[in-house]
Amino acid sequence: MSDAGKCPKTEALSALVDDELVGSVRHALDAHVAGCAICASLLAELRQLRTTFTALPDVAPGVDFASLVDRRIAAAAVVPKTEPKLRPQSWYWWPVAPAAFGGVLSLSVGAYLGSALMLGTQVAEQPAALQMAAFTAIPPGALCPGLQVCNATGR
Amino acid sequence: MLASDGRDEDWVRCAQAGDRKAFSELVRRHQDHVYRYLLRMLGSHDDALELTQDAFVKAWQALPQWQPEAQFRTWLFRIANNAALDALRRRKLVEFVPLEDSFDAPSSEPDPEHQAQATQEVRQLEASLKKLRPEHREILLLREVEEMSYEEIGRVLSLSEGTVKSRLARARVALIEIHARSGP
Ligand SMILES: [Zn+2]
Repeated sequence: MSDAGKCPKTEALSALVDDELVGSVRHALDAHVAGCAICASLLAELRQLRTTFTALPDVAPGVDFASLVDRRIAAAAVVPKTEPKLRPQSWYWWPVAPAAFGGVLSLSVGAYLGSALMLGTQVAEQPAALQMAAFTAIPPGALCPGLQVCNATGR
Repeated sequence: MLASDGRDEDWVRCAQAGDRKAFSELVRRHQDHVYRYLLRMLGSHDDALELTQDAFVKAWQALPQWQPEAQFRTWLFRIANNAALDALRRRKLVEFVPLEDSFDAPSSEPDPEHQAQATQEVRQLEASLKKLRPEHREILLLREVEEMSYEEIGRVLSLSEGTVKSRLARARVALIEIHARSGP
């Protein structure tokens, strides 16, 4: 306690150190601290702590995570959480189709399924948003209307 | 065409459309910060290396859920922080490993200059940080090392600004007390 009134909570002093207080609240606190040895001492400790943090050595990993992460995304065909289940539906009809529709039709069904499977593989490596890209209107102001534009940046 | 100094949010939109190169750009921008945060949270270079990759892979998977209102950095740190807390929980389940004993700095770079710089004060701070509870360590690192505002910290940790303010104060007092107990 001091002449300048009741001691503030520690969180007020902590916020003062962070420059998160403004206006009259800040002025009142500054005035209190100027007249209170206890708060002045705590404030000095809090400020010293901040200063010491700034002296912490930087720790650089020395690793290019971008290529590691990209390889993991590509190799594991990381599946976005919201991916629709294309594959099981396609396979469900596979044993039925040749018997029911004869040779020619089964070939065309096979070709369709083959392309569906390839699509499935492709989709699995991309965020779910892309799967709907063909059906989604380009939002106003969007910089990236589709994959082609992003890829055309020449990076 | 995106400039390499463009805003994160523009790159995120491209990455959302499936552009892996755009995502790689985001990884490069944030990798050192995420690694540094995870290293200080977990105290292990190897764990930080692994979890940094995991965090980015999770971010890629979660990209469809990213909203333009969210700052990419705080969104990413939220993912990284959850990964760190999960790892600490798992570690506690498997075996008790005090952080102070398991800390290993990146072995890839012996840094004599850093050794010379590390004053007694800094070494004490590093030691005290490792003894802090994770909920205190995380908030201090976000504020003091990553220099996030109360609002940003609130987004990373899902806390109100009022709670950020009070928890930060408690974390600082806890750190000062640990520091005083282990004093010279
Ligand atoms: Zn006082």
